[in-house]
Amino acid sequence: MLEIKNLHARVEDKEILKGINLTVNAGEVHAIMGPNGSGKSTLASVIAGKSGYEVTEGTVELDGKDVLELNPEDRAAEGIFLAFQYPVEIPGVTNTYFLRAALNNIRKHRGVPELSMTEFMKHIKSKVQLMEMENSLLSRSVNEGFSGGEKKRNEIFQMAVLEPRLAILDETDSGLDIDALKTVANGVNTLRSPERGILVVTHYQRLLNYIVPDFVHILMEGRIVKSGGKELAFELEEKGYGFIEEELASKA
Amino acid sequence: MIDLKAETHSLLANFELLKGLLSTYGPEAWQALRERAFRSYSEFGIPTLKDEEFKYISLRALEEGRFKPAYGATVDRYQVEQTTLGSVDAITVVFVNGEYAPELSSAHALPAGVFIGSLKDGLGIYEEEVLAKLGTIANLKGKLGSSNDERFVDLNTAYLSEGALVYLPSGVSLERPIHLLYLTSANHGPLVSHPRTLVILGENSDAKLLETYLGMEGVYFTNAVTEVSMGPNAILEHTKIQLEQADSIHIANISVHQAEQSMYTSNNIAFGGKIARNDINVWLDGEHTETWLNGASVGLDHQVIDNHTRIDHAKPNCNSFEVYKAILGDHAAGVFNGKIFVYEDAQKTDAKQTNQAILLSNTASINTKPQLEIFADDVKCTHGATVGQLREESMFYLRSRGIPKAEAQALLVFAFAAEVLAKVTIPGVREILEKLLFEKLELAQQAS
Repeated sequence: MLEIKNLHARVEDKEILKGINLTVNAGEVHAIMGPNGSGKSTLASVIAGKSGYEVTEGTVELDGKDVLELNPEDRAAEGIFLAFQYPVEIPGVTNTYFLRAALNNIRKHRGVPELSMTEFMKHIKSKVQLMEMENSLLSRSVNEGFSGGEKKRNEIFQMAVLEPRLAILDETDSGLDIDALKTVANGVNTLRSPERGILVVTHYQRLLNYIVPDFVHILMEGRIVKSGGKELAFELEEKGYGFIEEELASKA
Repeated sequence: MIDLKAETHSLLANFELLKGLLSTYGPEAWQALRERAFRSYSEFGIPTLKDEEFKYISLRALEEGRFKPAYGATVDRYQVEQTTLGSVDAITVVFVNGEYAPELSSAHALPAGVFIGSLKDGLGIYEEEVLAKLGTIANLKGKLGSSNDERFVDLNTAYLSEGALVYLPSGVSLERPIHLLYLTSANHGPLVSHPRTLVILGENSDAKLLETYLGMEGVYFTNAVTEVSMGPNAILEHTKIQLEQADSIHIANISVHQAEQSMYTSNNIAFGGKIARNDINVWLDGEHTETWLNGASVGLDHQVIDNHTRIDHAKPNCNSFEVYKAILGDHAAGVFNGKIFVYEDAQKTDAKQTNQAILLSNTASINTKPQLEIFADDVKCTHGATVGQLREESMFYLRSRGIPKAEAQALLVFAFAAEVLAKVTIPGVREILEKLLFEKLELAQQAS
């Protein structure tokens, strides 16, 4: 489904991604782990189409379609969703209005009828319950005055509403207490399905206790240096990123 | 600038014409008031760009326009209801071209002692109170600052005649909002009107006031003055909406006098006019007052929208909060000047001022100037101004959810101003304003 080949990307003069190769098939959950500055968030941003990154080499394809050619809204319409590390506050736009505009634009792009307000409210009702959100959050401005936990919860709620093909979670666990973490993980797990791929970007193994990945990749200095099953995450937690460095050094 | 050239401009010439008629109106003391104001105005005349307080707003159109004194026009109830704000559920007092229109105003049973109607009718009941307040609030005499400019207040006072009076005695809390609706229909050539509003709120009274300037037709000049006197503990939500015609000039001076523990909220919304200037001066003359000045303006085409605000913290322990926002497209020009004076006496003042502008085109501009003069040492005063395009990260957030660029942009611009419109709590009004904003931004989009 998602096919990344030899991806190189830079911010201004600094090369951050130095040849990423990654394949995510439908139904799989992949975790990308790595120390600070390894390029995890850059990878997530490049896939979603954030400006400020220059792709110098390589390709990103979703179901055979060249993603890098598309602007962010078309990527979203093709089914890419990024749960932000730092969700943005948008005063003056209510959550409901925002989400309905998003969903209907995606539906329009796919050639399915847009949802009326009543149909939309019906669609989101179960998702509100799933994320254990207060109904009042719907009529509040997007993320404005939300606590850190509420913001992250709102990201997964949006994901549940938009039902993407590929969901990328960028450090969704940062700043969450254990209860919020469980709610967020529960939301993500409910969205696991044979048609959907999920990419979890995280520094710590903590989140992976609740969202158990099928594959774990270690990203260091812009390259995936090691891949494995979920046990790799535990090993990393136990030994720290240092052991990978040693391993790499011994190979060299 | 003294203007005594052969072609004396119409604003002066009209006075000779109307002098006799004006003298028959109101108490005798007003004749002297008018004469004094006229002399004071004549001394300076129409401001030019050399006048500090009018640096960014060209008023040459005032000099060139041959404005005739306004007189009423035939407008029926149906026409009023068809206007955007004509059917707000409120105690409504309507003026057409500055003239009171009782047949268009709504009669409501009011609590004992409350008066809401024309100045003329109000004088019959509260002459003493009116005489004590009128002209004393819109007055900067003895206050700080060297560049005080009151010439348009003087011009209004020179032509003092018809106007509105709102009077609430002590302890009255008015449930239903008040709507003063100033309509202008200049269908017989350019005209000038000088609406005058006096609001007197007794101790512990509470009201919501909507002051609307709505153009129906033609080229004209509205020169409004509103004076608000708030007793101790009084509460007022004062929303002014300016929807003048595209070729009109609108100049308004709002002056507020707050006694101790009173709470004043101003929502100043400006969408209309070719040249629009609004001054709000708030005098905090008692401790523990609270003041909110919210402003939203949208300018397109060649509109000039100039907002001047001034808060005089004259007593200790007062809080003031100010947020002014402008959206400017095409060749529109915005001006914001925010003065805050903290007097020597006014310890523990807390004043916050923010001014933000979004420019939709390369040819739109804003001049913004915070002006804080602080003479006390134990105060908190902050100000901030941002001018710019939309935030990149907000744009990306919306687009990453599937909202196309143009729609995301429109949504963010709308939201920017909608935040201010949300401060208006009179039922139905916020929705009307949002609709107007939406329509105006659609025009902006078509133009770009």
